[in-house]
This record gives sequence, structure tokens and C-alpha cells, in this order.
Amino acid sequence: MKVSLNWISQYIGAELPPASELIDVIGRQLGAVETVTDVGAKYQGVIIVKVVSCVPHQDSDHLNVCLVDDGGKLPDIDRDKDGLVQVVCGASNVRAGITVAWLPPGSSVPESYDTVPFVLSARELRGVLSNGMLASPKELSIGDSHDGILILEDETKAGADFAETYGLNDTIIEIENKMFTHRPDCFGMLGVAREIAGILGVAFHSPNVFLNKAQPATAEDSGRLLIRNKLPTLTPRYSAQIFDNITVGSSPIWLQTYLSRVGIRPINNIVDLTNYFMMLTGQPMHAYDYDKVAARDGNAEQASIIIRSPTPSEELTLLNGKTIVIRDDAIVIATESGAIGLGGVMGGQDTEVDDGTTSIILESANFNMYSIRKTSMHHGLFSEAVTRFNKGQSPLQTLRVLKWACQEILAITGATAAQTIYDDNHLPDNVLAQDSIHSTVTLPIELLTSRLGIEIDREAAAAMLRCVEFDASANDAVLQVNAPFWRTDIEIREDVIEEVGRLYGYDKLRLELPSRTIAPAAYNETLALKAKIRTYLAKAGANEVLTYSFVHGNLLDKVGQDRQLAFSLSNALSPDLQYYRMSLMPSLLDKVHANSKAGYDEFALFEIGKSHILLHEDDGEDGLPQEFDILGFVYASSNKLKKSGAGFYEAKRFLNGLASELGIRLEFAVLKDSPDVPIMKPYDIERSAYITDAVTGTFIGIVGEFTASTRKNLKLPQRSAGFEISISELVRLATTGREYVPKSRFPEISHDICYKVPTTTTYGELNDFFSAQVKINRPEQTNITIELVDIYQRSDDADHKQITFRLRITSRVRTMTDDEVSRILSVVTADVIETFGAEKI
Amino acid sequence: MTYANSEITAAAEILHTRLQTLAIKSDILRAVELKALYDQLKTLPTDQKGSFGKEVNQLRNELQAVVDDASSQTEKLPAIDVTAPFECNTKPEDRPALLSSATGSEHPLTIEITTMLDIFTRMGFSAIESRELDDDYHMFGALNFPEDHPARGDYDTFMTVQTDANGKRLIAPAHTSVMQNRILKANKINLEAGKPIAAVMPGRVFRNEDLDATHEHTFHQLEGIYVDRGVHVGMLIATITAFLNEYFHQQLTTKIQPFYFPFTEPSFEFALQRPDALKKDDSEEQKWLELMGCGMIHPNVLREAGIDPEIYSGFAWGYGIERLVIMKYGIEDIRHFEAAKLDFLRQFA
Repeated sequence: MKVSLNWISQYIGAELPPASELIDVIGRQLGAVETVTDVGAKYQGVIIVKVVSCVPHQDSDHLNVCLVDDGGKLPDIDRDKDGLVQVVCGASNVRAGITVAWLPPGSSVPESYDTVPFVLSARELRGVLSNGMLASPKELSIGDSHDGILILEDETKAGADFAETYGLNDTIIEIENKMFTHRPDCFGMLGVAREIAGILGVAFHSPNVFLNKAQPATAEDSGRLLIRNKLPTLTPRYSAQIFDNITVGSSPIWLQTYLSRVGIRPINNIVDLTNYFMMLTGQPMHAYDYDKVAARDGNAEQASIIIRSPTPSEELTLLNGKTIVIRDDAIVIATESGAIGLGGVMGGQDTEVDDGTTSIILESANFNMYSIRKTSMHHGLFSEAVTRFNKGQSPLQTLRVLKWACQEILAITGATAAQTIYDDNHLPDNVLAQDSIHSTVTLPIELLTSRLGIEIDREAAAAMLRCVEFDASANDAVLQVNAPFWRTDIEIREDVIEEVGRLYGYDKLRLELPSRTIAPAAYNETLALKAKIRTYLAKAGANEVLTYSFVHGNLLDKVGQDRQLAFSLSNALSPDLQYYRMSLMPSLLDKVHANSKAGYDEFALFEIGKSHILLHEDDGEDGLPQEFDILGFVYASSNKLKKSGAGFYEAKRFLNGLASELGIRLEFAVLKDSPDVPIMKPYDIERSAYITDAVTGTFIGIVGEFTASTRKNLKLPQRSAGFEISISELVRLATTGREYVPKSRFPEISHDICYKVPTTTTYGELNDFFSAQVKINRPEQTNITIELVDIYQRSDDADHKQITFRLRITSRVRTMTDDEVSRILSVVTADVIETFGAEKI
Repeated sequence: MTYANSEITAAAEILHTRLQTLAIKSDILRAVELKALYDQLKTLPTDQKGSFGKEVNQLRNELQAVVDDASSQTEKLPAIDVTAPFECNTKPEDRPALLSSATGSEHPLTIEITTMLDIFTRMGFSAIESRELDDDYHMFGALNFPEDHPARGDYDTFMTVQTDANGKRLIAPAHTSVMQNRILKANKINLEAGKPIAAVMPGRVFRNEDLDATHEHTFHQLEGIYVDRGVHVGMLIATITAFLNEYFHQQLTTKIQPFYFPFTEPSFEFALQRPDALKKDDSEEQKWLELMGCGMIHPNVLREAGIDPEIYSGFAWGYGIERLVIMKYGIEDIRHFEAAKLDFLRQFA
């Protein structure tokens, strides 16, 4: 929303503070200021001059040599004996006697000011000296016209400052639109002026023509227009008036400069006036050529306006030249013979006001904001009118603005107004009676002061509200507040609190931290555990990543996950965001190749994230899909490193390290067959294991290498493996305590023992059995540790492998002997041989 | 593959033959023959560069494809003993070991979130992670967004094909405020027993936007709420200021400016005078930093959670985490955060 400080100052009955101070105030109490533009700087040095003489340039077929009178304003410039300045001008409309804008040497062309300023000089044009130039509307940044120079009104005085004369010594402030989402009134200069007055503590008075209740009028000429509103809910009010004897032409320059300053292109006096009032009040208006409307239905004496829904596939050619098939639920303005406008969004080309127009229907209506918004989005039509209508303009202002506009139309275009003022009005009786959108708000003073945390006098609060034209009275302990008719947003007590707080100034509030007891805040075990996992894995050399929660369908295909089981997005801009991920591993694997390629030969990535699967539709709380908190980890090393041993064990090493950090002991079980669930799909079942808690047997997750197709599709190095585990299970299982074994002061005895077992015997089976037997057979009061020394397979014996354990044993009460340990081991060995068909090597 | 240029054909034959016996396949990409072709390209007249360059690149891509294939060795591998800590016959020096802790890192965003949560918990707020798949009710309905309200359109929300029990599409939350109603409801009993509700909710949020250096469709927010008797606007400003002072280790100058959100009334935008750490220069534009949306919780939001707005009031805020981290480290492209590139991540080791 662009705000002209010159424009608003006209409505504030007090001197405004300097612009810089005002901008600060606006930022603090009205809304974020996005940009501040000093318009005046553009026009620095531009002077109004009278062209005294104009003769053709002898060496040119289009240039003219002019002598202009600047009232002697500019010092240090070549003048003739009469004090006139010579300027060469190529415009076809230049002639003696006109008043124009002169860009003297040293000034810049305003149009070029914001990009690369073009600075004028005194230079010869085909042998004739030209002191600067005479400017076109385009060069002056006032309009698009570059057909000739801008000719000013005769009464303007030669030598006057151009910017000052036309209010262009202005500052334009752009305030973030979002701030005004609920403030339709602030989409007009009048509304912003009122706010600023209120903030400055100045009582604001809207012009009476706006404040006073306007009445429709029915007169003899009422038959010239028939209004039929078939959509009273979507168009609660439709006011209109006919104007005749119009001469369409350029607007007065002051009007053009008003519009150009706030970013609106001047078109002609009628269109400019509707835009002017829209920018002033927030109420968009539209002018139809009366004769064109009437002619459509073949009756020159009577025009009809029908507000209705579109017929199936109804077409309309808009003002912008585009032909659309109207959205089914749009509000159509039509005559008997079809649509002439998209209500509140854009008029039709057919009934456009043009140079030949003599009579118009001026529409000032109210349309449903949601409908306008949808129509605008559907057709991609974004106009200043849409911006205002979709904030929900007050329906109580249509007739008032129409009446105000009427005054200027008569003054500027020489038009006459028809006597009938049409007002198709479907507002509820109470709204009309109270002349306010919402009813009186009763606000206890105590609530006001406690919410704002300030002591405020009830009279002072009421006075602040009255500054912005509220009807506010204070009695006993309450404020009675009636919002003015343009305030659609004042409905509940909090709205009034906001209003008072803002006018009072939030910067003046008393800052105070809430007081609290020393009771500790609730501890979030899950977050604490996640932090612990991150710390451990980073310490272990892995790198935490974050990847998108959404994945491309192709990625699911690459790892063999079924797209049908994933939640899918219906409106993603990119196919990369087609599906909610069902597990983290695909996203992690997707990131391996790029890092390998970037030269990282060995690395580990992990992510803590959430996953969703269609199979788990209900979390048992909100009836929402269950969210799984998952830790995903992947290890990858390049073949270049020529490391022996499967990648599986690398991932498992990290996993076991993490488990031990969390006080959990894990067990790994062979996957008999791959369960048909998405999380398992990337894994090679013969090189993967279920992870369970050794104590409770709880399933925690999966660790393993990846299927050949996954590896191929994602270009993974052969030595890659990963795991995914459930964070919520870890939270349940994690223990804080660590087991401590008291140190023994007696010497330790260490023995290695090697068993040859069939290849089919797993290390786990043998280790469990061996450990259990050692424990059974050991003397009391001993500490034991069993380590794996090696697993070896001879190249000439594929059926067996040799597993070597190292047993360390210490008695806590005496010195043990080697023989004693050998005896224990021989008992254990006998059992091992019997159970596994093993052989002691 | 055949080539029009005979020199390239000859080089291709040599390189493909050598590739078959090469132990480290990627070495082929550094072969002198290939480099020679690229050197030659530079010396060619302009009119020949195009076709020659195209063929050299084609050769390079062919070799690259073989290298890639070889590195992923796509054949099925034999079963392993998953119960063992290392594979049979693994040399002791090759046995699994953790990586060097010097290379490990936590993600810069989670590092900052952890720091922030630490401050808030010290201030008495409990932390709860936000959801990533939610419904229309928590995104809009419970937050006083009327049906069809234009503010709903400001969020460019991702929706799923799947619907909830009310037939409405599920939603990828566009703000962490989806947690407000849940936290309020869950703590209503405590509130009525005299304990204020004080919670912060970090989480991922999503906006349906095109990606570029400053726009991400996925980012992180931290939401906070505080509800008690007699909570006022001054407390909101004081609380956020206290957090920011702690976070930036500096006494900051802050301000609020009016704003609009359906779920707070009044609503504000919270700005601070840019802390030294985030200042590029002393210009006016660098002075204020609009940091977050906040406001007094709308009575309808409290009411929706069963809390009586006649008795209780509260405030809420929410801010984007990426922005702070980007400013803190001078990160030039927001897409780095979710790209999982070690070049980026290991700078935080």
C-alpha cells in the first residue's frame, strides 16, 4: 500500500512532523514500512515556463527553437536581451503561448532518476544552443504518453517550481499490505490519514460528504436504468448513478500527479476519477458507457444491469483485451444480452468508457471478499480493485463515496448528474440502523489495563478512540465503543484493546517478565535423547544431515518401496516433492553418490527425522496418521580404500557404540525372509539383521547392506551399509546407569582359545554359548571378560571357520593360577565340542 | 560408440582397453590421453571447437559411466554372519572402527535449535516437537481462520491427496502454530491448578514455493506460548527480548510493530536492532531486523482449547530458524541446509 504524505496531510488538521519522524511513527504504530521514496528528489530543478516564441529550426524538419520565460528564476544561464532562455524542442505540439515543464541544464530527466539519471546540459542541437529540454508526461513520470510535451494549465505561473505546484515534492511510503489484511479502510489515503492523526493524538474529521448517511433518490429519470440483483448474498449492495454531458479527456494535471505518485497510470478523466476515489477511500468504482450498455439490449432509453451467476461456459472480453470463460461461481455484471463485467474484478471491453463517451453509469458496489478472491485467483486477475475488495470493504460506504465522487465529476468533466441515485441494498436492518458493521462493544477498563499492562485513564482511552472517529464513552468501569461504519474489524473487546494499545504506543508499555516458581520445566526425554544421539554420532565422525520430508516417486522406485503406501501431495510445484517419505534410508542413500563424487572416500551420514506410512493412519490421539521418529544412518567407503570386510560391520560398529552410550545392549538376528513393509525394502536380507534389545527382546530396527538394485540405482559403493532405528523405542529402553565392576588387586590371567566350527555356526551362537559356559564354570568372586581375537577361514576349507577367543579372568579375593584357568577352559571346551561339533585348535 | 574424429576414436580404443585392467577405475578420467584431447580442443579454430568438444565430452561421459558402474558393483553378494563384529579373515587394521571425531558434525540448524531450547528451558518453558503431517483443524480451524479466509491463502500450504475424517485434505504444516491447540488442551488442567502454560515447539514447516537461494519449501520454526492469569503485552515483549539477549549475548533494543494474524489479537511483528554479530555495516537498512510474528493469543483460540479467555490470557510467537543461522554464519544459499553435502556440513565440525 503506497501512501503519499502530501495526500494524507490534506486531511489531517494539524502540521505533520518531519517525514523521517513520521516514518518511524508509522513503523511503530501502524505497520512495517517497506520502502520510502523521496519523489521530490526526482523533480529537483524542474521549472514551469511559458513558451514565448517558437520557430522551426533551420537545419531540421522537426525541431523547433523556442524562447521560454522562466520568470528569471534560474541564475547563471544564457538569456537573450528580454531575459528569455533558448530551448530546442522536437515535440509536434510545441507552440508559442503554452505553459510547459522545463528541465534546465543540471536537472535530471525524472523518468531516468531511479535507474541511470540522465543529467541535462546546455548543448548545441544541429548548431543551435538548447538549454536543457521541455518534457513529455513520460519523461516526467506522470503517464505513458510520449507523443508530445506536457502542456500545463494556462493559469500556472512561469518560474514556479514544478514539483511544488503539483504536490510532487512528496514522500511515498510503502506499508506492508499484510498489516492491513483486516483493515480495508487503510487501503485508502483517508484511512491512513486518520490512523496517523490518531497516533499523533490529533482529532480526525472525515469530510462531511463521507461521514453523512447518504440517501438513494428516486426521480422521474429512474427508468433509464433497471438494476436486478440475483445474488444479494454475494453482492449485498449495489449503488449507481448516471452522469450525462460528459467530455472525456485528459484529467487535470494535479489529478494525474496524484495517481502517478501512488503507482496508477492516468487514462482519462472518468477512469482517473474512479481510481482517485478508490485510492482515497478504499472503495473501488467502475464506470460503464451508458449508451453502450443500453445499445446492447437494443433500447437507447433504458439500460439494464443484472447481477447474476454466469451461464454455462459464458465468455467475456475484459478491459485488458483477454477473453475468459467465466468461473462458475463468479459474480457477473450483465445486460439482458450477456456479461459486461466481472463484478469487483474487472470490467468488460464492450462497455468501456472511451473518447466518444457522453453518458456513464458509475457503479459503487460491495462484493463478497471470498468470492472476489477466488475469481481473481482463478483468472489470474490482480488489480487495485481486487486488492481492496478482497479485504472486505464496508458496504456502508458505497453510496457515500458515490456522492463524494459526484462532486468532482461535475467539477472536472462538466457533466450533469441524473436525479435518480440507485441503491440496491440487502444489508441487515440492524447494521443499517446502527450504521456500523458490528454492535457496540462494552469493554471493562480493568480488562483493558490488565491486557496492556498499563494504567490508563478511561477518559484518555475514550479520547484516543474518538480521535479516529469512534463513538466512545466512558462511564463507571467500562468503555462503550461504537466503531465507525468503515471499521469492519472491531467486533470483540480484544479488538478495542488492540486499538487503544496501538494508539497509546506499544513502545510505552511497561516491560515485565512473567513471574514463575522454581519448579523445573517438564523434561522432554525424546528431545534429550535426540541431542545425545547427535553428540555421540558426531563424536564418532559421522555427519548429521537434514533432507526433505518429501521425496520423488522415482526414489521410492529405486529402492523398491511401493508408492501406493505413501501419503502423496496433491499440489506440489515439483515432482521432487511428490510423496511423504516412508523411511529415512532412501533420502540418505540418495545423498551418498554426490559426496563420493566430491572426493569423500569414507564417510557416514545420519539424520533424525519423521516418517509416515499410509498403513498407520491413526495415532490414537487426533485421528491423525502416526508419525515415526527415526534415526537413519549410512556408512559408505570407496573401493579405492581397498578395505577388507563387509560394510555391514562398519554400520554395526557405530550402532553398537551408540547403544552402549545409551546403556542398551543389542542383539542381531538373521532376517529369515523380508517382511513386506516399506522400511525393509532397500536392504539385502542376507546381509542385514533385525536389531532387538537384548534384555526385553523389543524390536528396535534394522541394520544392513543394500540390495544390488538399490546399489545400482543410487550408484552406491559396494562397501555401504546403514541402519534405521526407532527413537521412541530407544527412549523407552535407554538407561542412565552404567555397570561398574570394582577393580581387583590380584593379577589377571589371560588365555586364548581357538575353535574350528562348521561355517554355518554363527559367531553369535558360539559366543553366547562359550560366555555362558565360562560364567557357569568360573570360581566365585571373579571378574571375567571375553574378547574376540579373530575369525579365520582357511582358503582350502570352505566348510569350516576358526574362532579365537581371549578370556581374561581375575579373582577379587585371591591369586589365580594358569592351571586353574586351563581346567575351566577344558570343561567349557568339552561342551563346545559336543554342542557345535567343534574342534579345538 | 563411434566418433567422427579419428584422433578421438584412437584415444577411445586405448582408454577402454586400459580401463578393463585398471584396479582403480576412476584413474582413467585422469589419463594423459584424455587430457591431451582437451588441450587440443583449446587450440582448435572456433568453427571446429563445437563438434570436437562434443565428442571429447561424449568420450569422457562414457568412461565416467563405466567408472560409476564399477564402483557400485551391482552383483548379488553372499550371505554374511550378522552376529559377528567383523567379517571372517578381516585384517586387524581393517576391522570396523569409528571415524575420526575431527570430521564429525551436527547440523548447523540442530545446533542452533538445541541452543535455543536450552535457553527457553532455563526460562521455564518445556519443549515439544511439532508434527510434520497435520490436519486443516490444527492448521487453520483451531487458530481462528474462518473458512475461506484470505489469510489461509497467504500460507501456500501443501496438501495431501489423502483426507482426514472430515473429508478434508491433510496438511504439511506451514507454521508450528499447529501445536498451539494441542499444548493448550493438554495443559488446561495444570493451568486451572495454578500452573502457567509455558511451552516452545520447534519443528519443520513447509510452504509451496519454488526453490532459489533465498526460498525454501522446507524450513524450521520455533513457536512459543505462555498462558496465565493477567498476562499482558509488556510480558510478551519482555520475554522475547530476554530470550534474544541471552541468545546473542548482548543487551538488544527491540520493538514491536502492529501486524495481523487471525490467531492473535493484538498481533505484532517483533523487530530488534540488529545485533553486532549480524551487522554488515552501519547503514539504516541494517538497523532493524524483523524477526518474528507474535501477539496476544486470540480469545477464540483459547476458547477452542477449552480455556476461558475471561480468566486467562497469553501470548504466542513464532520465528524462522534458518534466517537466524544464515545471518549468523553468512550462509549464501538457503538450499545448503537440506542438500546433505559434506563440503558444507564439515565446516560445522
